[in-house]
Amino acid sequence: MIDYHALAPAAVLGLTVVAALVVDLVVRRKVWVAVVSLVGLFGAFVPLLTLAFCEPLLGCASTTRELFGGSYVVDGYALVLGAVFLATAFVAVLLSVDYIESDRYYEGEYFFLLLAAALGGVVMASARDFVTLIVALELVSGPGFLLAGWRKADERSNEAALKFFISGVLALALLVFGVSLVYGLTGTQLFAELAAVDPDVAELPLFSLGLLFVLVGFGFKVSAVPFHFWTPDTYQGAPTPVTAWLAVGSKTAGFVGLLSVVFLAFPQLRHVWGPMVWVVAAASMIVGNVVAIKQDHIVRLLGYSSIAHAGFILAPIAAMAGAPAEALPLAFYAAVAYLLVYAVMNLGAFGVAVAGIAKVGSGKLSSWRGLFRHSPSLAVMMAIFFFSLAGIPPLAGWFAKLAMFQAAVGADNPWGLSIAVVAVLNSVVAIYYYAKPVVAAFFEEAPAELQLAEAGAASSPAMRLALGLAVVGVLVLGVVPGVVAVLGRYTTSLLTLGG
Amino acid sequence: MLNAYFGDYITVAVFMAVGALLVAGAIFASSLIAPRRPGGFKEVVYESGIEPIGGGWNQSHIRYYVFALLFLIFDVEAIFMFPWAIRLDFFAEAGLGITVLVEMIVFVVVLVLGLLYALAKGVLRWE
Repeated sequence: MIDYHALAPAAVLGLTVVAALVVDLVVRRKVWVAVVSLVGLFGAFVPLLTLAFCEPLLGCASTTRELFGGSYVVDGYALVLGAVFLATAFVAVLLSVDYIESDRYYEGEYFFLLLAAALGGVVMASARDFVTLIVALELVSGPGFLLAGWRKADERSNEAALKFFISGVLALALLVFGVSLVYGLTGTQLFAELAAVDPDVAELPLFSLGLLFVLVGFGFKVSAVPFHFWTPDTYQGAPTPVTAWLAVGSKTAGFVGLLSVVFLAFPQLRHVWGPMVWVVAAASMIVGNVVAIKQDHIVRLLGYSSIAHAGFILAPIAAMAGAPAEALPLAFYAAVAYLLVYAVMNLGAFGVAVAGIAKVGSGKLSSWRGLFRHSPSLAVMMAIFFFSLAGIPPLAGWFAKLAMFQAAVGADNPWGLSIAVVAVLNSVVAIYYYAKPVVAAFFEEAPAELQLAEAGAASSPAMRLALGLAVVGVLVLGVVPGVVAVLGRYTTSLLTLGG
Repeated sequence: MLNAYFGDYITVAVFMAVGALLVAGAIFASSLIAPRRPGGFKEVVYESGIEPIGGGWNQSHIRYYVFALLFLIFDVEAIFMFPWAIRLDFFAEAGLGITVLVEMIVFVVVLVLGLLYALAKGVLRWE
């Protein structure tokens, strides 16, 4: 029989996708589509919880459930990351409501596409073979291309969609080519079987080449250097709430796929993928942070910062290059913990960008000077999220960095120690460019010609709720990091199998 | 095992070489034997083809693209239905007949909803 309970989170979300389409046809006021989306995303949490607490509540044999011959697995990792995708989509919908309503390009498909992408994320967290993973990845990416080009008559938005589309399709082609090599050599595309593949086959150069292509494909998806060039332009050109989804939801989906592949399918090949990831991680941190210093547009700044953060998330994975098998769960835990914290603080930072651009009318950092004088609450939130991104306690970012350093240094090999040194140096650089706009917002005078928007999208109830959720998240995760630690440990339980 | 695997590619290469030789040989032989009478009806489009109008770089209306997309959706749907139909006996014997039938109905209904959506949005109107 098919285990419908395990499929329920994806099924509820799938129903919501269809409902959003139907409601859009029926109702005149499009805000109801957003309401249906929010209710559906909230509804999808319920089966996630019943699955997570299945053992004590419903007397299930185990939390881990395997479906379709092991292709679709619901375990701690799938549940926690599934919840991240639902929460990210929830906040992204809240950020979008007023932005889209006030925009002249409004169409009902917006929320439909956003929900479809969220569904892709939920499936991605459960995917345990390459075909399911690729389908999930495309379900995340496809709507992203359309959403990035949402402002049809805006040249920048067109540029954003085109760059995103071309690099996304290239990434898919490379990924599929890599998978075809691996499949051709092993005859399986199931992660559990690949993890137990004959070492003689795994040592073939052709196998490493396949692995390289898979990693490059994911490199595009997570916008790691040198596959990052589309990121700043796409982030700046796309509507800012869409950028929030791309930078958090879409990127997390890429990382979830990457983590599944390297830790579940190829844990014994860490001497092959470790050095490749090391190069990409170090390059991402250095290029992302150094280029971010020169940025004068808040969305571009956050774009380069997200490239740098991709490097930080990759660091514990890179440290596995020469590590024993016992070190794998700690690195996996560090990457997941970083992803959780990154989602919360980056959603907040992009929320501030959406609200601030609506308020001061521009993303240029020069017009954000003196923000504290006219919009004190926005300026305070900007400080909270930016300092969290910089990793300053007691905001959530510090714990993510701590977990990352623990895993990198704890791996106890030259690769781990060297990537930790690169990460430390870059963390210092990051503080500078995060602090600079915040200082300008607090202590400088606003430009004289500044035209402030009255009320509107900057202070709507949906925007307040979205930013409020993010602020609470950053503060709670920063002061009580045990929450992240518990969730992170919960996800690593599956690694005891593959080791 | 692996040498046998790569050995299969040698078979493919040999097969392709023989194929290429065969075609080249046929063309060469016909150039030696066949009589040559150029001109006349040999220049027109083959049998039932339509006479082309305009150059190859003509722009076609975006409408065609939308129709092509909608067509593609149902084309792909049919591809999904064939393997499903072939395996139906197996599922029925396992006692999953109704489940599998309902799953396919759900799949088709979702696609039809997409078509209805396109219809309601006026995409299918040709004007």
